[in-house]
Amino acid sequence: MLASIISYGLAIGAIYALIGIAYNVMFTASRVFSFTSGALGMLGGVFGALFISRLGLPVIVGFILTLAAGALVGVVTEIIAVRPVLKSIEQHLYVLSTLAFALMIQQFTAIEWSTEPQPFPRLFNIGTGLLDQQFWVPVLACAATIVGLELLYRRTLVGRAFLAIAEDNYAARALGLPERRLRMASFALAGVIGSLAGFAGGEVLLAFFANEPMLNFYGFVPVALGGMGNNRGAVVGGFALGLFQQAANFLVGGIFASVAVFVVFIIVLLVRPEGLGGAATARRV
Amino acid sequence: MPITRRHVLAGTAAGAASLATGLARPAIAASEPIRIGFLPALTGPSSSTGVGINRGTVLAVKEINAAGGVNGRQIELIVRDTQSDPTKAVNAAAELTRRDHVHVVWGPLNSGEALAATPLIARIGVPMLDPCWVDSLTDVKKYPLAFRNAPTNQQIGGAANHYVVDVLKLNKVAVIGDTTGYGTASVEAYVPMLKAKGAAVVYQGDVDASNPDLKPELLRMRNAGAQVIMPWSVNAGFLSRIINTRSEMGWDVPIVGQTTLGSGQTKALLAKPEYWDKVYQNNFRSSSFDSAGKLPPRTAAFLDRLRANKIEMGDTLLWWIAIGYDAPRIIADAVKNAGSTPEQIAGYWNTLKAWPGVYGDITWTPQQHNGFPDNEVVMCEANSLRDGTFRLAPGYNA
Repeated sequence: MLASIISYGLAIGAIYALIGIAYNVMFTASRVFSFTSGALGMLGGVFGALFISRLGLPVIVGFILTLAAGALVGVVTEIIAVRPVLKSIEQHLYVLSTLAFALMIQQFTAIEWSTEPQPFPRLFNIGTGLLDQQFWVPVLACAATIVGLELLYRRTLVGRAFLAIAEDNYAARALGLPERRLRMASFALAGVIGSLAGFAGGEVLLAFFANEPMLNFYGFVPVALGGMGNNRGAVVGGFALGLFQQAANFLVGGIFASVAVFVVFIIVLLVRPEGLGGAATARRV
Repeated sequence: MPITRRHVLAGTAAGAASLATGLARPAIAASEPIRIGFLPALTGPSSSTGVGINRGTVLAVKEINAAGGVNGRQIELIVRDTQSDPTKAVNAAAELTRRDHVHVVWGPLNSGEALAATPLIARIGVPMLDPCWVDSLTDVKKYPLAFRNAPTNQQIGGAANHYVVDVLKLNKVAVIGDTTGYGTASVEAYVPMLKAKGAAVVYQGDVDASNPDLKPELLRMRNAGAQVIMPWSVNAGFLSRIINTRSEMGWDVPIVGQTTLGSGQTKALLAKPEYWDKVYQNNFRSSSFDSAGKLPPRTAAFLDRLRANKIEMGDTLLWWIAIGYDAPRIIADAVKNAGSTPEQIAGYWNTLKAWPGVYGDITWTPQQHNGFPDNEVVMCEANSLRDGTFRLAPGYNA
């Protein structure tokens, strides 16, 4: 039982963590919580199955095309659902615009792809039982993403520009940083990370249009738990959520597992509204 | 007022006109087409059923009209695609009944749409035929003109329970549903039926269909001593996870349940084809072949007819086409023998006894508008699909 909790919990936790990171990458560059993160995850599975199973492309080509398609969806999200709202409305109406866009993506997928879950191809045929690839591929994808983001933010000029925008948008613009292009790049990056989550977790979640709301909800939990904009917090929160959810599946089972997850989530937010890894920020009044 | 020549002429003209229209009306009624309002979901998430049924319905109408119609009257099929949307189904039902004045409504073809449209069609007073399974869709007091030519959910669950308890002789049962309305309602309805048959329900649960790992649930079933799993869901992902997990656990118990267990979507999600062994899903005797591969004679003849008409069968189930084929014929039969007013059609149907449909023998009475016989709901081997039909599960003697 313990081995099963750990293998499934880590796999699903890695997927949640990646979706959480996608939320954060978009948030840090634009202060927008784009609720298209779950859609990006769902599309990762659907594009993977489309390119590899249906079109018969090699795995590596299908993988690259999936990430490219995710990046494209990220950029389109920024242009359609975020930029007009940021430009003309001060309120947090991006919640509605991004949710509406995510819903459109979901419905379009249902119509054009399928309303039934479709199989996701086996990628490597490595490992069996609890060491099957479906369990460790998401963890590997998550680890690679964390390392990649660390290198990007610490070692590259673009990464530092991202951090500057996240730290102080107005000051960064005053210094001549191209805020809009950086924001688009961050949405493209989030698209890559979100679709990577869906691709890596395809064997567990299948290529299914209804994964969108599920990933949107469960991917948001690690962000809230770990602190908004905090990638390390999202990773810890994601894995904690996956393991806790799987343990709850074994211990209480059925619909009560979901109830248990959200009870803990609400309690954590009541005790620490800024999240476990977040710091309370002072607000000038 | 003095009577003038103008008054006399006007009165004569009016009298002649009323006489002419009064005399012409029965003549028009006797020759006008029989309008069947057809409400299939041809697009959208629930359309696979509608597409299959539509093929049978179109073929039957074509055959009836080619043979001269019904007492010289052609059948006019007025089709409105509900797009799998209950709201659109209600709007289409209103249009068909109020504007097109159809004689009979055939459909909607899935329960969600039928639940929304049936009260409206009943209120307008048009006879209605539907193939949906939700029990509450027929009620001779609330909907006296609504008839069902398919089994109810009670019959579907009853057949599965009968197979588990009476045929397989298994008494420790695990019943699992997904958290949709269908899943939870089925579990609630079928568990008491199993208990009434003397079975012990050792596991009962509703699980979110998107849950990627069902091993905890299956371990719970196994630890409780379950000898059979009965899943109730139309979600192929959920069902395939149950089948995959059972096999990967090396747990050799049968899975007995809803028709989706035998669908191509479920098959596509299985980790290995052999995992489909010992999975038995609801089906109907008319569209099941025996261990020698033989279909009932009526079905075999129907299959030949479909082939002759080049009806596509590879992507659908035979019973969908059959139920679609039977509907216009049962309507035509009523018009031929009784007439086309609502009272005449419903009056005839209320006396119908073992009407020989391809899908099943239909019997209706004034007290019972569920016409499908219990014993024609059977269980089949999921891995035996052939021309939209399945092999009867072990234990049936047919």
